[in-house]
Amino acid sequence: MRLIAYLLPRILAALITLFGVSVLVFLSLRLLPGGYADILLGPFVTPEARALIAQRYGLDQPLVVQYMRWVWAMLGGDFGVSMVTQRPVIAELLRRAPVTLQLALIALTLALVVGYPLGVLSGVRAASRRRKRDFGRVVGAMGASVPDFVLGSVLIFVFSVWSLWFRVGGYVPFGTDPVGNLRTMLLPGLTLSVFGVALILRTTRDTVLRVMTEPHITAAVARGATPGAIIRCHILRNAAIPVVTVVATYFGFLLGGAVIVEVLFSVPGVGLYIFNGLLNRDYAIVQGGVLLAAVVFITINMLADVLYALIDPRVGAAR
Amino acid sequence: MTARAQEPLVDIADLVIGYDTGTRQVRALDGASLQVFDDETLAIVGESGSGKTTLGMAAGRLLPPEAQLLGGRINVSGVDVTSADDAALRRLRHDRLGFVFQNPTAALDPTMRIGRQVALAMGGRPGPEAIAELLSRAELNEPQRIMRAFPHELSGGMAQRVVIAMAIARQPHLLIADEPTASLDASIREKVMATLGRLRAESGASLVILSHDLRLIARHADRVAVMYGGRIVELGPVVQVMQAPAHPYTNALLAAAAGNEAPGERLRPIPGTPPVLEARCEACAYAPRCALRQPRCEAERPEARRLAGREVVCHRAEAVIGAEQPTRQEAR
Amino acid sequence: MSGVRQIARRRLLGDGLTLFGALALGCLLFLGLFGPWLPLGDPLRIAAGPRLGAPSAQFLFGTDELGRDFLPRVVQGIRSTFLLSAIAVAITAVIGTLLGLAAGYLGRHTDQMIARGADILFAFPALVAGLLVAAVMGPGQASAITVISIATLPLFIRVVRSVTLGVAGRGFVTAAEVAGASTLRVMLVHLLPNVMGAVMVQLTYALSIGMIIESALSFLGLGVQPPDASLGSLLRQGSAYLTIAPWMVLTSGAVLSLAIMSVNLVGDAVRDALEPLKGRPLT
Repeated sequence: MRLIAYLLPRILAALITLFGVSVLVFLSLRLLPGGYADILLGPFVTPEARALIAQRYGLDQPLVVQYMRWVWAMLGGDFGVSMVTQRPVIAELLRRAPVTLQLALIALTLALVVGYPLGVLSGVRAASRRRKRDFGRVVGAMGASVPDFVLGSVLIFVFSVWSLWFRVGGYVPFGTDPVGNLRTMLLPGLTLSVFGVALILRTTRDTVLRVMTEPHITAAVARGATPGAIIRCHILRNAAIPVVTVVATYFGFLLGGAVIVEVLFSVPGVGLYIFNGLLNRDYAIVQGGVLLAAVVFITINMLADVLYALIDPRVGAAR
Repeated sequence: MTARAQEPLVDIADLVIGYDTGTRQVRALDGASLQVFDDETLAIVGESGSGKTTLGMAAGRLLPPEAQLLGGRINVSGVDVTSADDAALRRLRHDRLGFVFQNPTAALDPTMRIGRQVALAMGGRPGPEAIAELLSRAELNEPQRIMRAFPHELSGGMAQRVVIAMAIARQPHLLIADEPTASLDASIREKVMATLGRLRAESGASLVILSHDLRLIARHADRVAVMYGGRIVELGPVVQVMQAPAHPYTNALLAAAAGNEAPGERLRPIPGTPPVLEARCEACAYAPRCALRQPRCEAERPEARRLAGREVVCHRAEAVIGAEQPTRQEAR
Repeated sequence: MSGVRQIARRRLLGDGLTLFGALALGCLLFLGLFGPWLPLGDPLRIAAGPRLGAPSAQFLFGTDELGRDFLPRVVQGIRSTFLLSAIAVAITAVIGTLLGLAAGYLGRHTDQMIARGADILFAFPALVAGLLVAAVMGPGQASAITVISIATLPLFIRVVRSVTLGVAGRGFVTAAEVAGASTLRVMLVHLLPNVMGAVMVQLTYALSIGMIIESALSFLGLGVQPPDASLGSLLRQGSAYLTIAPWMVLTSGAVLSLAIMSVNLVGDAVRDALEPLKGRPLT
C-alpha cells in the first residue's frame, strides 16, 4: 500500500515525461524547413513520392492529428522504415539492442565492482582522518576527466601496437563464440566503465561521508562495535540508497548513449546504428533510436525508484 | 555527605577540552573535575554550552575529531581513556559503558528492523525470546511487534526505550544519558526517567544524566553537579544543593525552572548568555551575570572548596547560602 | 578577516592537487585567450613542416597530414573548446537559475511544469540528443551549444529549485513578502544571493560536462567544422593516423583531459570550501 502510494505519482510523472519526450522528437523533425517529406526522402524527390509520403504520414492533417497517428503507429511497433535498407527500423533496433545491452552490462559491472568498494573505503578514510583529499579524490577526478573517446583512442593505439589478446572490431555474438566476443567487447566495456567508476566512487564517497555524521553511527561507536562491523551492518546499506539513483542514471546513459564508444570500437550496437543513420540522412532511424533511448532511460529510472522504495523502509512513510 | 572510601568508577581531573573551529579554538571544558561512584545516579545540569555534553561524551572518548584534549585526565573503570588504544577503548565501551542519546530515532539505524539492531547491541546470536525479554525489561509492550518495526514507525518514547534496552544489553557498569527525555513529549518524560532509574537500580550500575532541567532530574538523582563555563561549579547531594544552593548560578537555574513557584510568582530567566572561552578563564566565569559579584570575582579564578556538605566554586558562596534567596530579592 | 582569508587559502590551495588544477586551468585559459597573439605559429599554414612529422625541437607537438604545426592547432583547439562550452554553460546557467528560482518559489503549476520540463530534457542521453540536434540543425557550433544546454539545463534547474525550496520558507523571505516586495524582487534580491553558491558549484561541473560534450560532438564530426579546430576535432583528425602518427591523438587527448581535470579539481575545491567536511572516525 505504502509502495503504491509512493510509486503511483512517479509512474504518472514518468508517463508525462515520456509524453513530453515524444512531442519534442515529433516536433523537432516535423517543423523543419523543407518539411517531413524532404527529411524522409531528400531534396530531389518527385511530386508523386512526396504525395505518397504526405498521404502515408497524414502530412496534410493538423499537427495534433499527425502526432496522434505517429504515436499510434509507434505503439503498434511501427517506427518507420529505413530509407537505405527498406527494412523496419524497429526490427533493426531490436536486433542491435542485445549488443548494446551486453556492452552496458560489462561497463556497469566493472564500474560497480571497482567504484562502490573504493568509494566506501575512501569515504570512511576521509571521514576518519578529516581530510577530503585522498586516493578516492584523485581517482574520482581523473576518471571523470578523461573522456571515453580519448581513453578509447589511446587503448586502440596501445593494443594496435601490442595486440596482446584484445581485438578492435570484428564483433561476434556471445552465443556463437564467447571468447571471440569478449576479445572484442572487453576493451569498449572498460573504456565506458571508467567514467562510471569515477561517478559511482564519488557518489558513494559523498554518501558515506554524510552517513558517517549521522547519530546512529556515533551510537554504534559508543556501543563498542568494531569499524568493520559498523561498515558492514550500518554504512553499506545506508550508503547504497542514493547510489541506486546514480547507477540507474548511468545505466540509462549506457543503454542509450554509448554512441561514441560503439563508433570508436566498431561495436554494432544501437548507438552505431543511429550514428550511421544520421550520416546516411536516414532520419527514421535517428527518430526511432532517440525515442527508444529516452524510453529506456525513463524506464530504468522508474525501476530505480522501485528499488529505492524496497531498500529504504522510510520511503513513502513520511506522507 | 558520606565519606566514600571506595575507588571511584569515573575519575575526571582538571579536564580541559577545546574545539578547533578553523579560525580559533573555543574551550568547552575549562578544568572540570568529577568523580562518579558505584551504584549511584549523578545528574549533570547546565545550560546548553555549559560543557556538559562534552564532559559526558569525553568519558567514552566519543567527541568529534575537532575536539582537542588540552589537559587533565579521564579514568573510567580503571582505563585511562585519554591514552588508551583503540582496541582497549572499544573493549571499555563494549563491556562497561552504555550510552543513551538525546534523539532516540536518529540514534537507531533507519534501514534496519529493531530486532536486528537490538541483537547487534546484545552481541552474539541472541534468540528472539532473549530480544523480546530485553525489550520487555525496558517496559515495551508487544515486543514481538516492535522487533519487526523500523525506527521511523515508533514513537519517540518507544524509540528511547529501545535505545535504553540496547544500552543495558551487556550489563554496563556506567550508563551515560545525554538529555534522554528532552525530545520526548512532556507527558512521558517522567515514565521514561522512571524506567531508566529502575533499570539502573536493578543492575547496580551507575547512571550519569546530562540535562538542562534541574527539577526533572532532581527526583531521580542522588547527587547533582551544576556546570557553568566548562567547570563544575557546585557538586553535592541533591537534597542539600536544591534546598540551599551555594552557587548563584544554581540559584538562578532553580528560579528559571518551572515547578515550585508560588502562585502569581514569575519564572525568572537568567539574564545574559553563557561565556565563550578562548583561553583559561582567570576570573569567575559567571561574574558578568552574577548579582553578587565583587571586584575579587572579576580578578581571581575561584577554586573548588568544601562548604556545607558539597563542593562549590564561588568566592561568595557563604553569602549565597546564608542569604534567603538573595538573587531573587535583589532582582526585585 | 585575515582568518577568513587564511581558511580560503588553506581550503582552496591547501593541497597539491588543487594547486595543480588551478595552475593548469590558469595556463590553459591564458593560452586559450591569448593564443592567437602568441608567437606560436599559424595554425592554418600548410606545409610549415614535413607531413606527419614526429614531435621535434621545432615542432613540439609534431605536424599533421598537411604539414601544419600541431602546437598552434592545439592552442586554437583549447580556445574553441573552452569558449564554446563557456558560452553555452553561461547562457544555460542564467536560464536554469531563473527557471529554478521560479519553480522553487512560485510552486504549484509553475513548479510542476518546470520540473517536468527538466525531466524531459534529462531523459535524452547527451550524445543521443546530439544526434537528433545534428539531424535537425546540421553539424556546427550552434548544434554543440544547443546540446550542451539540453544536457546541463536540468542540472541548474534541479539544484536551484531545491535550494530555493529550502530558503523560501525562511523568515527574511516572509518578511520581504509582508513588506510588499514584488514576486520578481523577492526572487532576484532575496533568493538569488542564497542560491549563488550552489550555482557556482554546478557551473564548474557543467563546464566540464560541456567540454566533454563539445569535444565528443567534434570528435564525431558534428561540432566544430574544419578548418577550425577544437580539441575534439583534432582528436578526430588524429585518429585517422593513429598508428602512424600517434602524437596527434596523444597530445590533443592529453591537453583535453588536462583541461577537463583542471576544471573538475577547481570545482571540487569550490565545493569543499562551501561545504566543510564533517565526519568522525569509527573508533
